[in-house]
Amino acid sequence: MTETAVVHQTHDVPQPKQHGKPGGILRHTSIITGTVLGVVAAVITYAIGSHFFVPWGTQNSDASQVGLNALIAATYFAWVIFFMIGIGAFAGPIRWALGHDLTHDDAEYMAGKGQGKWRYWKYTTDHKVVGTQYLIVSMVLLGLGGLLAMLIRTELGITWMEVFDPNFYNSLIGTHGIVMIIALIIVVTGPFGNFILPIMIGARDMAFPRLNALSFWLLFAAIPPLASNLFLGGIRDGWTVYQPLASQAPIGMIGYQVTIIVFAFSTGVASVNLITTSVTMRARGMTWNRVPIFVIGVIASSVMGLVWFPMFQYSQILALSDKVISTSFYNPIMGGSVWLYENLFWLLGHPEVYVVVIPGTAALMELMVVFLRKPLFSYKVAIAGFAGVVGISSIVWVHHMYMTGWAPSAGYPFMLSTELISIPFGFLVLVMLGTLWRGKPWTRLPMMCVYAVVWDKVVGGITGVYLSDVPVDQYMHGSMFVVAHFHYMLMGAGLFAAIGATAYWFPKMTGRMLDERLGSIGFWVAFFGFQLTFGSMFVAGLQGMPRRVLQFDNAFNISNWLSTIGAFTIGIGMLVFLYAVITSWRGGKPAAANPWGGKTLEWQTETPVPLENFPVLPVVTSDPYGYGVPDPYDTVPATDKQPAGVA
Amino acid sequence: MSIDNPPTIEVDQPEEPTNRPAADHRLKEWLSRGYVRRIIVLSIIIGVVIVPLAWVVIHFMNLSGAPASAIMVEIERTMFVFTVVSAPLMAITLAILFYSLTGWGRVTGEDPPMQESPAIRTNGTAVVLWIAATSILAGFLVIWGLVELATITSYANGSTPANQQPNGQKAIDINVTAQQWVWTFEYPDQSAITTDLLVVPINVPLYFNVTSKDVVHDFWVVELGIKIDANPGAITNTGVTPDKLGTFNIRCAELCGLHHAYMQTKIKVVTQAEFDSWVREMGGKRTV
Ligand code: HEM
Ligand SMILES: [Cu+2]
Ligand SMILES: [Cu+2]
Repeated sequence: MTETAVVHQTHDVPQPKQHGKPGGILRHTSIITGTVLGVVAAVITYAIGSHFFVPWGTQNSDASQVGLNALIAATYFAWVIFFMIGIGAFAGPIRWALGHDLTHDDAEYMAGKGQGKWRYWKYTTDHKVVGTQYLIVSMVLLGLGGLLAMLIRTELGITWMEVFDPNFYNSLIGTHGIVMIIALIIVVTGPFGNFILPIMIGARDMAFPRLNALSFWLLFAAIPPLASNLFLGGIRDGWTVYQPLASQAPIGMIGYQVTIIVFAFSTGVASVNLITTSVTMRARGMTWNRVPIFVIGVIASSVMGLVWFPMFQYSQILALSDKVISTSFYNPIMGGSVWLYENLFWLLGHPEVYVVVIPGTAALMELMVVFLRKPLFSYKVAIAGFAGVVGISSIVWVHHMYMTGWAPSAGYPFMLSTELISIPFGFLVLVMLGTLWRGKPWTRLPMMCVYAVVWDKVVGGITGVYLSDVPVDQYMHGSMFVVAHFHYMLMGAGLFAAIGATAYWFPKMTGRMLDERLGSIGFWVAFFGFQLTFGSMFVAGLQGMPRRVLQFDNAFNISNWLSTIGAFTIGIGMLVFLYAVITSWRGGKPAAANPWGGKTLEWQTETPVPLENFPVLPVVTSDPYGYGVPDPYDTVPATDKQPAGVA
Repeated sequence: MSIDNPPTIEVDQPEEPTNRPAADHRLKEWLSRGYVRRIIVLSIIIGVVIVPLAWVVIHFMNLSGAPASAIMVEIERTMFVFTVVSAPLMAITLAILFYSLTGWGRVTGEDPPMQESPAIRTNGTAVVLWIAATSILAGFLVIWGLVELATITSYANGSTPANQQPNGQKAIDINVTAQQWVWTFEYPDQSAITTDLLVVPINVPLYFNVTSKDVVHDFWVVELGIKIDANPGAITNTGVTPDKLGTFNIRCAELCGLHHAYMQTKIKVVTQAEFDSWVREMGGKRTV
């Protein structure tokens, strides 16, 4: 035996040598150093670049914008890269390269030990910090998107004049769309996948704590390029930014492309982390049959993100390249293809809706058992449902392209696959209905979200069945009907589920109870406003109103007025809910460790959750669904007079 | 609403599967439970509310004069049939949802309820029935959709769905060119007259060759139920036979930039005689 491996008692394993104070350079980095470095680098890049790139552009007579595009892209990338450097994202790899391994003290410093609130502004690896950061950022994005939605509805409600310049209106739509899409992708897996999931499976942290910080700060760095587009001409082409319209767009479009490219890295990193954590870090005894269903939902969603997000990223890399080096991937005059873009886009674009809906649904399944004091109905069917949706969702994207003329016969197979996905989707409905069956709900806000979401899914589901049919889509495609349908899925089923999850895990994450009365008022006002907004939008669509228009026939006036009234109702409701969140977070009633009486592991540790989650790692002996009393009907002796029940 | 009071019996011995009573007995017993009956009634009520929605939906689609072609008739038929066939499952889902709000009792208050609900882990019968029902429904929708797609495709090609044969009438070719933000229509067989207001004869098949000069647009003839993207660098095709006189809407259904909202025009469906005189007026001669 050589000297490379020696058996030691655990306590006297030789530790790597501590270089300087724990944390090293990370003691000095934070969002401030990141921002300063990022902004300085962006300014320098812009200054140097405008001497270099812009003349390059003007020599190219076909595309005088090319130089300017390249300049903006370079500036944005400089911001992202130097922001990440400035906040200390690369400190780890550099230390390894220098041969300085991390010590235990370093790791604890990086997890935020002893830094108080300041750790939320740093490159902190603790999954609970990352989860909280995600929660805040998704609320900020939802607020921004919601504000833009109010502006859109203002324009559409004032039917007798143009309120906004059409270009500005178009960028409102595009920015609202992509901001909301990003917000909804992160709104469940970000906060709860990071904060709750590791505790739920009995782990001390995520599998890759530093990647966890990386995924959050990449997301953070991606936001300024997106937000700044409104000052650079805007994203005027909808969130789908179809080509070649997007190649005519002003430089604001570069912000979209850079954001997607960076955000895709962020989701990729986050997905790998969540999957690896769930697969390898579960507590002893937590076999696959004992894994909480929320974990399964997060895995399902992460798998889809991991597989399909690169398509979206790639579509934007090609688009950016068309803009900054005059390639012609999407330029038909130069042999490019708009249909190539559309395919690449929808390869993610469709699975994306399930990336949004599945973790929210899984969170609701997780919480409804607690409020019903009943086991989850048919755990196996739920898993089969998730698996089926993940599988089939990868072969349905062409239903967004039925009317492109690209492949007229493709309508047949893709209509088939699209209709089939309603079968596994139906499994999930069955699981929720079966769990409700004969339960006595404890009607707190998280439970009420279950009712709201199932209703929205029924409406979204049936209208989705219409749209998956090619002949019907031939009428509906590109109309307000589609807009109403996907809001039922994204907002009605996705966002409202996220609200339920927030209300449920709020006590664990913040140590305080969410104000039930205010929170419920806000939620229900938003819910009924939502039905009005999008219910009347269905009518506008049926009457033949195209989407993404700011003026329309008088025939559509009434439904648009109602829709705008509904939208402001949503706005009020959401503000009330937000107020409830903020006030409860700051001064709400302190929460007990297990206020709902849940059986999953996150409720078994104390609140606030200690740095390493559990003093002693738990051992799991059953699944977390051991609620309920024996079914009285089942215990009736089987005689002819009193037969046993079937359900 | 009251909570059903099942007979209370000692829980010690799990029941022996061998003495399970016959299936019809179990079904009878199940149907005799109060909550089952109430949910069935509720489902029927909800179903009765949903089915008329099918007419409401069609009503809204028809407000501006649709259906003006056999294709639009098929589209509306499909909407109608889909609403009706999915009504039972929707009704059952919503009935259970609403019933469970209070029907089995509910708990309010600050503290986790002590009272537990029945520990139903799964139920083979329910799972099998549900999967069977949703699969049959999905299967029906798929088959209906495939047949309808074939049908409207042959209508679009000016042929009769039954035998896929051209019905003998020569179609009028119309070249549709989109550009930001106008539509131009050219009649190659009518001395290539061009117009931005589509005029067509009733009951004659039209065949559109659609393209774009700049970005992607979408040629949507609303009341006739046809829609196809106008792509730069490619020609896409669609067709329809208008069967109703009147003026209908053509709208762009793909965001195409600044004035997308205003990129609309009309299609006038007129008699053959009126069409002929319109062609002459436009300086073309009828070559067919
Ligand atoms: C306050 C609630 C909301 C209102 C009133 C609202 C309203 C609208 C309106 C009027 C449009 C433009 C439709 C058109 O002309 O094509 C739109 C587009 C869109 N909305 Fe919302 N929305 C709301 C919330 C959300 C949420 C929560 C999401 C989350 C996913 C979302 C995602 C989108 C997307 C993806 C688009 C498409 C943008 C595009 O056409 O490119 N919206 N919304
Ligand atoms: Cu899709
Ligand atoms: Cu357009």
